[in-house]
Amino acid sequence: MRNLIIFLRRYFNFFLFLLLEVICLVLVFQNNDFQKTAYLNSANNISARLYERYNNVEYYFHLKATNDSLVKENARLHNMLRTSFDTVILDNIVKNDTMRQYSTDTARKVISTSVRRYLYKAAKVVNNSVTNPINYITIHRGSADGIRPNMGVVGPSGVVGIVRSVNEHYAVVLSLLSKGRNFGTSARLSHSKEMGMVRWHGGEAGYATMEDVPKSVHLVKGDTVVTSGYSAFFPENIPIGYVESTEEVDKASTSFNIRIRLATNFYNLQYVYVIDNLLQDEQKSLEDSTYKLIKQ
Amino acid sequence: MSILLRNIIRFVLLLLLQVFVLNKILLHQSVSFNIYMLFVLLLPFNLPRPALMLLALLMGLTHDMFMNTMGMHAAACVFIAYLRPFIINILSPQGGFETTQKTPSMTSMGVSQFLIYAAILVFLHNLVFFSLEVFNVGSFLYLLLKIIFSTAASIFLIVLYELLFFSRK
Repeated sequence: MRNLIIFLRRYFNFFLFLLLEVICLVLVFQNNDFQKTAYLNSANNISARLYERYNNVEYYFHLKATNDSLVKENARLHNMLRTSFDTVILDNIVKNDTMRQYSTDTARKVISTSVRRYLYKAAKVVNNSVTNPINYITIHRGSADGIRPNMGVVGPSGVVGIVRSVNEHYAVVLSLLSKGRNFGTSARLSHSKEMGMVRWHGGEAGYATMEDVPKSVHLVKGDTVVTSGYSAFFPENIPIGYVESTEEVDKASTSFNIRIRLATNFYNLQYVYVIDNLLQDEQKSLEDSTYKLIKQ
Repeated sequence: MSILLRNIIRFVLLLLLQVFVLNKILLHQSVSFNIYMLFVLLLPFNLPRPALMLLALLMGLTHDMFMNTMGMHAAACVFIAYLRPFIINILSPQGGFETTQKTPSMTSMGVSQFLIYAAILVFLHNLVFFSLEVFNVGSFLYLLLKIIFSTAASIFLIVLYELLFFSRK
């Protein structure tokens, strides 16, 4: 006991120091929220890392749901694009789905009113082939979802094909990878504005040919080939592919055949957008009736 | 003027200076001007250690009350109050400092000795205080810079203070 007292007296200063410091630190941690949370945070560092690891694994199982939501989002955004709208004179037509453009000055006058012309619908690819002479893609969207034959189908990066036949919940899409005359889409070089037809002639799924391009064209390698907007299936300026090289069919011919690298990667197509051209029937019936007039 | 009165005045003066002038200065986030610990540095040589530590605690807690940093300044102050006698022992010449003056100052210790004394203790104070304040090992470089810059700023202020209240006795 006496030794203890001697010991305590000998190191009295140190113990007092410790006591005071402990008092100070208790005050610090009792009164300051930041230190408390910081302590908890650093203690949680380990658990946070574990959580992250766990989520990394778990994320895989939610990829499906995540993708679905992203595609829905994209379809919604596509529908808001300006290219999905068409300018009309609104004197005698009333349409519900319109986009108004206002002047940027303070008056905010309505400059133009556009009505919807294209409606994008997201669809999941459930079957796809690239090896056949004529390739079909099956999508999980049908007449119940408003899909009809002769609708254009585009992927995230470019043109995919055209809806060929439909049942209630599924639709079969004629892929751009269809040999010869089965599928051809009107195309335009985005740089020089020259028109042509894009066709696939078999072989590799990544390449197609743009035919009937005038020889006067100034070709730039890598130039984007886009839809012309002349066909009723696709809106303007959707990428089809990129100019790879020219191949001359024969010297006497007046046109080029341009080899293009397709924008869409058909090997891993997962989601597509079906384009409903709301004015397609109008355009088609007008064109048909005109042809009939000429035939008569 | 008695040493007691002088220290009480210094306590109040340094506290007011610290709280109402220096704490309002915002030069850069990694520099903060602290001079209140000069009170601990300038306590008389012959004060017993427990009294030293209790006075430091008082000073620190008072400052903490103003700053809403309960206990942080106090911890740093008690820390340097505890270490102060060791530093003085190391720095003092063979026979101890002349006891004509009872408090540490540039005249009683010599300019270089006093500067070293102040630098060490201010550095230790800032080390403890900013470690508690930042409380994050991740921002180690920031902490280090803050300690170094703030120590330099404090020493600058202490030298100014010493030159202002220079006693030639």
